[in-house]
Amino acid sequence: MIRMAGETKLSHTAAMILQALGAGHVYGLSVMEMTGLPSGTVYPAMRRLERDGLIRSQWESQSIADAGKRPARKYYRLTRAGKATLEASQKRYPLLAKLAPVAETGQ
Amino acid sequence: MKILRHAMLRAAARLVPSQERAEWLEEWSAELWYAQQSGVVDADRFCLGAFQDALWLRRHASQRAPRTASWLASPSRCLLFLAGLDAAALLAILPVPRPSAPIPLRAIFLLMGMACLILLATTRLSLGDYPASRSAPSLATRMRRWIFLAAKMALILAGMYAGLLLAASLGEKTRTAAVLVDALLCGSVLAFRWALHDQRRRCPVCLRLLTNPVTVGQRASWFLEWNCIELVCLRGHGMLYIPENPTSWFGAQRWQYLDSSWSGL
Repeated sequence: MIRMAGETKLSHTAAMILQALGAGHVYGLSVMEMTGLPSGTVYPAMRRLERDGLIRSQWESQSIADAGKRPARKYYRLTRAGKATLEASQKRYPLLAKLAPVAETGQ
Repeated sequence: MKILRHAMLRAAARLVPSQERAEWLEEWSAELWYAQQSGVVDADRFCLGAFQDALWLRRHASQRAPRTASWLASPSRCLLFLAGLDAAALLAILPVPRPSAPIPLRAIFLLMGMACLILLATTRLSLGDYPASRSAPSLATRMRRWIFLAAKMALILAGMYAGLLLAASLGEKTRTAAVLVDALLCGSVLAFRWALHDQRRRCPVCLRLLTNPVTVGQRASWFLEWNCIELVCLRGHGMLYIPENPTSWFGAQRWQYLDSSWSGL
């Protein structure tokens, strides 16, 4: 990722992950399904995006997971900076929007 | 098969820095559960990716290090630690019979000289730029830093001497003694390297280890903007900038003294 004069330029992989997250695929596994990228690419890229403040992670409530008799999951959401970067990336990579339409309400 | 996958995750977790390991393993275990339930991805390949993620976390751990000082942060503890190692070495050689002849001085100087030559060839000896400023401490305070470095070196040399005593007691021509001298040479180089590295990471005023590493700028755009790791003295004496890509205009680490208004830190 390169940051110049307030504009953040993402690699194509990072842009795909941001697009998937923006489209509501908030778990690492669902991002993998959406983008077709392997786990060894998706998770380190999400760590980088989180370190750079473009996404943030949070654990879902344990009580909700317990009610569904399943393990609690960590989900990822775009930050304000992440949304701005995604918009810039969509201009840079026009085909990105075809990957998955970004939810209107945002994350 | 499920057991094997969890074993893979646990093996990968060993690569993750300890303070993040439990949460990391919980996240991957949960996602593995969903991967196995949904069957849309190959669970084995999914687990293999955990190693790449763990390695990434390990590689970038210094940028996200905990904001606490290590046990050796205090200069007195650091010297005590070295003195303790020397004391242990001396205790270890006590039961060994004394060498028939004293160790010739030239053997000690030869070992030191070889260690210094290897050090010169393998590491930077510069301790960085510490530019004079109005907030710079007095000469006496600045001298403490050099005394501290000299004390560390002296304690390392004392350890070397203990090792030489042990080698000499084994006899000149024994294979074990030769191996011991080689190991001593390697150990001395590593110890001197550590002493220099430790010195570079200390505040020149209070001599405590600097903390809170933060990456400033992006490595990819180092030609256009400041790109370094920034560390701070928790007592507010100053900040250290370490270039990630040394250049002609920013080759060595640079210290910036802070004025007394920062002492509230």
